[in-house]
Amino acid sequence: MTDRYFLWMAFVFYVGASALTLWRLRSERSQSSLHHINVILIVVGFLMQLVGLILRGQNLHRCPLTNPFEVTVFIVWALVLFYLVIGPSYRVSFLGAFTAPVVTLILLTGLLTASDTPHAPVLKHSPWVEFHAGIGILACGAFALAFIVAAMDLVQNRQLKSHHPSPTFRLLPAVEQLGVIGVRLLMLGFILLTVGMIGGVISDKLVEAWPWQKVAWAWTTWWVYAALLAARTIGNWRGQKASVATMAAFIFLLTAYWGTSWLAR
Amino acid sequence: MNLVIIGLNHCSAPVAVRERVAFPRAQLGAATCELLGAAPVTEVAILSTCNRVEIYALAADACQAALALRRYLHSYHKLTEPIDAHLYERHNRDCIAHLLNVVCGLDSMVLGETEILGQVKDAYAAAQTAGATGAALNRLFQKAFAAAKHIRSTTAITRGSTSVANVAVELAEKIFRDLTQSTVMVIGTGAMSEATAKALRSRGAGSILVCGRDRERSGALAGQLGGRAIHYDDWPVEFPKVDIVISATASPHPIVTREKLIPLMKERHQRPLFLIDIGVPRDIETACDELENVYVYNMDDMQQIAKENLAAREREITICRELIAERVARLAEWLEERYK
Repeated sequence: MTDRYFLWMAFVFYVGASALTLWRLRSERSQSSLHHINVILIVVGFLMQLVGLILRGQNLHRCPLTNPFEVTVFIVWALVLFYLVIGPSYRVSFLGAFTAPVVTLILLTGLLTASDTPHAPVLKHSPWVEFHAGIGILACGAFALAFIVAAMDLVQNRQLKSHHPSPTFRLLPAVEQLGVIGVRLLMLGFILLTVGMIGGVISDKLVEAWPWQKVAWAWTTWWVYAALLAARTIGNWRGQKASVATMAAFIFLLTAYWGTSWLAR
Repeated sequence: MNLVIIGLNHCSAPVAVRERVAFPRAQLGAATCELLGAAPVTEVAILSTCNRVEIYALAADACQAALALRRYLHSYHKLTEPIDAHLYERHNRDCIAHLLNVVCGLDSMVLGETEILGQVKDAYAAAQTAGATGAALNRLFQKAFAAAKHIRSTTAITRGSTSVANVAVELAEKIFRDLTQSTVMVIGTGAMSEATAKALRSRGAGSILVCGRDRERSGALAGQLGGRAIHYDDWPVEFPKVDIVISATASPHPIVTREKLIPLMKERHQRPLFLIDIGVPRDIETACDELENVYVYNMDDMQQIAKENLAAREREITICRELIAERVARLAEWLEERYK
């Protein structure tokens, strides 16, 4: 069985979790049994994806981050990893329900549209390059989850401001809690991004110079998230403004990555 | 053998009658034991709450048992006037259906309320401790508790608050991470602000400040809520530390305005602020709600939410009744089989 087979299997489980989410939102149910089924579907999807990534890594004899398809799959995997770590620690109700559709959508986009043609990697094979790329992707996973938490915050904030909250509002956590989790995820992502950037600077010096487009993307992303984190901590950005900025930062990260990957080729 | 129930509730009897036939909680066990000797019943349990008094029993002759239970109610409470007009009586299948409706909150004054389940559990525990229950009542009550649990988790009968005070609590819980860390300020004392503050306190609100022109009244309310009374003129000083404000003053103009709030929100580092406006005319300027992280709710908003929640519960009644009917049929079948 090929790695793609396992990735499609993972997709099927994420679709199952998303369908359950839609059903829960429609029926306004929040039973713990449904929550457990949701988590189980996501865990199985995560494991399928892990097997797919391992098989691909074995074929390539390196970390599978050589083309946009692999990077997309890795970001989704990192996002689910953070969800599985963060979700139980903070006991955030409905985080899984919001995570499942996002994961499904990004993975489907990757499976159907991202370029998966085998080609020579942009840079030479080196542990520093892999360290930089791996940690960078984990940072993207944390930022992706911060995006989801910000979306939940935005929805809940709108419900409260509407004065006539729909039954969905009972299923979502408090806006203050979502704000705190969002900032912690941004901090975690920023630390990982910084560590990954240090790895990138070292590999640039020791292994091979990076294409300028990649360097520009990495530094712009770093500054965008540094500014966002400063605004949300020192500048006391909270509520709708903070949520929109967090979501915009992640959309910028993804689109800028696709753009620079295309330019670098 | 037959199941029988006699009782009265908020629909069949006014409070003046209900309070005369209520059993003090401490005397439930003794009364149950006494009933076993006083009436031709083999099993018995007494449920007594502020809204209902009901006696559930198993007897060979249902009519004779019901008559004895009525007499017992009169003699136990030394009633001088008959209360038969207020009493209802149900047998077998109807008795089972009645208990299931009661535990699921379908027969309550506030549709879908959950407190009744705990009260029925207490009544059953008292009867069981007194040795007054056997196979029939044990099965009846245990199945009723299981039905209540199932119906609560699969339908929306208990969802959403139906009182203004509880709607305020529900909203506060969706704004703040932890109510125990929140400070509540009550500006102006009144029945509604008192009820809302009490509801927040019962859900763990951290500290409560009561501020009013009448020092004695604010002091008394602060004492009741375990809070602190402050002078009316001092509320702007304390305001930056406060997370939830319940305002119910008689002021003809808004006392909290957008202009006043902007610097205060900066001072509180834009932490969320929940403003509950109970005053008529309104105490909080409508424009305050346009500020980010400020949530303003007035009486109309909260009453509307409570009304919608109640309507949503009412829409669930049919589903609940269907679920109950299945269980009633199974229990009635079991009862007939066992005692035929």
